[in-house]
Amino acid sequence: MMTLGKEEKTMSHAGVGRRLWQHENTPILLVLVVMICVVVVVEYFLKGRVNFLSGMNISNVLLQVSVTGIFALSMTLVMISGGIDLSIGNMLSFLGTGMAYLMKTAKWGEAPTLLLALVVGIGLQLVMGWIISRTKIEPFIISLGFMSIYRGFTYLITNGREITIIGKINFLQEVVFRINKFVITVPIVLFITLTIIVALVVKYTKFGRRVYAVGGNENAAYLAGINVKNFKLLIYGINGLFVTIASMTLLARLGTGAPVMGMGKEIEVIAAVVVGGTAMSGGKGNIWGAVFGVLVLGIISNALNILGVSPHYQYIISGLLIIFAVVVGYYSGLRTVKRSVRKA
Amino acid sequence: MPADTITQQAAAQQSSSSHTLVLEMKGIRKSFPGVDVFTGFDFDLRKGEVHCICGENGAGKSTLIKILSGAHAPDGGEIIIQGKKVDSMTPRSAMKLGIQTIYQEHALYPLLPVFENLFAGNELGHGPIVSRTAMVEKSDEVLKCLDSDISPYEVVGNLGSGEQKTIEIARAFIQESKIMILDEPTASFSQKETDHLLGLIKVLSQEGISIIYISHHLDEVFKIADRVTVIRDGQKINTYEIANLTEQQLIKDMVGRDVSAFYQRECCTIGDVMYEATDVSGKGVSHASLVVRSGEILGIAGMVGSGRTELAELLFGVEPMATGEIRIHGKKVNVRTPLDAIANKMCFITEDRQSSGLFLIHSIVKNAVIASYAKSHMPFARPVDDVKLATKYVKAMNVITPSVNQKVVFLSGGNQQKVVLAKWFATAGDIFIFDEPTRGIDVGAKEEIYKIMTGLLKDGKCIIMISSDMPELIAMSDRIMVMRDGEMVAEVNRREEICEENILNYSIGGGV
Repeated sequence: MMTLGKEEKTMSHAGVGRRLWQHENTPILLVLVVMICVVVVVEYFLKGRVNFLSGMNISNVLLQVSVTGIFALSMTLVMISGGIDLSIGNMLSFLGTGMAYLMKTAKWGEAPTLLLALVVGIGLQLVMGWIISRTKIEPFIISLGFMSIYRGFTYLITNGREITIIGKINFLQEVVFRINKFVITVPIVLFITLTIIVALVVKYTKFGRRVYAVGGNENAAYLAGINVKNFKLLIYGINGLFVTIASMTLLARLGTGAPVMGMGKEIEVIAAVVVGGTAMSGGKGNIWGAVFGVLVLGIISNALNILGVSPHYQYIISGLLIIFAVVVGYYSGLRTVKRSVRKA
Repeated sequence: MPADTITQQAAAQQSSSSHTLVLEMKGIRKSFPGVDVFTGFDFDLRKGEVHCICGENGAGKSTLIKILSGAHAPDGGEIIIQGKKVDSMTPRSAMKLGIQTIYQEHALYPLLPVFENLFAGNELGHGPIVSRTAMVEKSDEVLKCLDSDISPYEVVGNLGSGEQKTIEIARAFIQESKIMILDEPTASFSQKETDHLLGLIKVLSQEGISIIYISHHLDEVFKIADRVTVIRDGQKINTYEIANLTEQQLIKDMVGRDVSAFYQRECCTIGDVMYEATDVSGKGVSHASLVVRSGEILGIAGMVGSGRTELAELLFGVEPMATGEIRIHGKKVNVRTPLDAIANKMCFITEDRQSSGLFLIHSIVKNAVIASYAKSHMPFARPVDDVKLATKYVKAMNVITPSVNQKVVFLSGGNQQKVVLAKWFATAGDIFIFDEPTRGIDVGAKEEIYKIMTGLLKDGKCIIMISSDMPELIAMSDRIMVMRDGEMVAEVNRREEICEENILNYSIGGGV
């Protein structure tokens, strides 16, 4: 099973059930399952039918979470390695409106636009990564600075207006296959593919194992022969790649480059990653946890829509859910610690 | 105990009755998990005296200070301050009782001016309103009294080491301390700064303040002490009036240990020169040279702060070398980063395994394989192989753990150290630098580590070993080099020359 880390596999003395119970992703999975059950029951009693589990709604949820999901993949890498990036939301706005501007106002073709976006996206993250890896300044504050810069550029490009590009970069919205109303589109496939690639890279490459080492103890990592500075630089470069891909995807779906398109995205993504078990202090976390985190937050907002809850209440409920999920993770972590202490 | 020491002691006892005692410790006991530091320690301090405490690294000096400053509670015994028995002490209540401790590292606010530092927590003024003028005036007065021309407005971070120490002493002075404890105050001082500090201490003692002074520098001890207490292995060996004490006697007391307790290491065949460092200089080290042969342990002795760890860091590429040349098997190599060092088959078991050796929140497997990744250029890692590798070393080194997936933070000190060793063994290195390999490890695990080290020698590898544990260093080393103030001051070559008196003598620059 993909979701099982090697942590539990070799514990010969524990049964399968117990191993599952003690797995680090168990709490978030439980939260996810309980939440789905509650939504189904509530909807059934309120409306007498369950739209929530319809094919159309499921494809809807998947499409909605795919952009946040792509962001979350690289954010997980950044955070495990001990960093953070607050600039991604505004970077999304910047790249999105920038691409829209090039295609609509400057009449660029799709290919050169996307290519330039990739170069700029990765390049800017490398600049930020350079500063973060070469100094001891908190990545929090450096990325906060970049966040503001991106916002400024976004307004310069758009002058505060939206740029509509209906009909452009349509290949990012293609339907891959459909069964009745259950529709799988390119963004969903992209998200799933990237998830699998990142999960494999984390588990089966030295790079992946070193992400944890750098976040776990930078000093020891350096002494173990890791070029910590360049490693961090690389992580931010990868982040740039993912942010750009996510921006393209969202732009294609919205058909409009709006200055607000990425507003608050960074908070949503960081919340999902942390809910999924990644430590803000670095060294701990996993890709599948982050995916579950994204699903939890995506599903709750979808479910509240279906149930007709006012958007104002939705923020409050999402906030409570984030806190609840993190508290559950905290106590299950404590439980694991106690168990280990008893054994050792 | 020779007859003359007994009479000395009697004399000391007699004369002490004519002095007021500000502090008495009776039968103090203190143990940490696995180690008894004190088993019935007695100590007394007279009003206005400078009382020096001498002992080797690990003799129990730091624990004594921590008990007196309230940081550690003793397990038993009595502490009597100014005639009153003190039941329990916290750092705060110790200060209220007039005990001020000045630690080796500066405990100042580097960004604040002098007067703010002097009155931090004890601001002058009325109620919540602080009076800057009052504090500045008082600062000026105190600093003048201490014969110092530092301005109260100067930002502390801009001051030199010696001046900062003066500020700390001034702060203790302002808080009307009766007892001042100075732990290695001159560690990073120039001669001039040292002289100034010693003068300052004389002034303080004339003001009636009692001073406990801890220093590795015997010349300082003989300059300022009224009495000297020697501790060794948590025991008070003796307390001397300075007039009755010679340097020889002091060193002998600091060292004198039961030789039969030494670990007996197997002999190994010593081969060709494997590692050669010539004229290495850099941060904390000047012009050090050393040679190690295969199958040999080169011990590096010296007091804490003599540049031993700094040397190891230079050799391993952690810090840049200003000058120096490294040859491995006669071939010149460049070691600019730890990565270079690992590529040249070097391994570095650091002094502080928790902060620089281990990934505490990660499993044994993750810890064991991480350095070996630096050896090849293949990008892939196979979790199954990683587990196999870790399991192999866990078995070979007898790491006690329920599983190789156990997080390292839950292991005991000895087992943690074995994981550090596993990490380096997995790189298949040849040249090992051990910095304090058995610090904080219980006796049984120590012996296992020694066996593992001997095993390395049998495989034709070589070891550079830094240790403050003198019996360990003597038992394990084939040769010992002594460092002092960043320089190699002596090499003790022949087996019969290797003894604690000799080494200690070189380390502290005694004239015996």
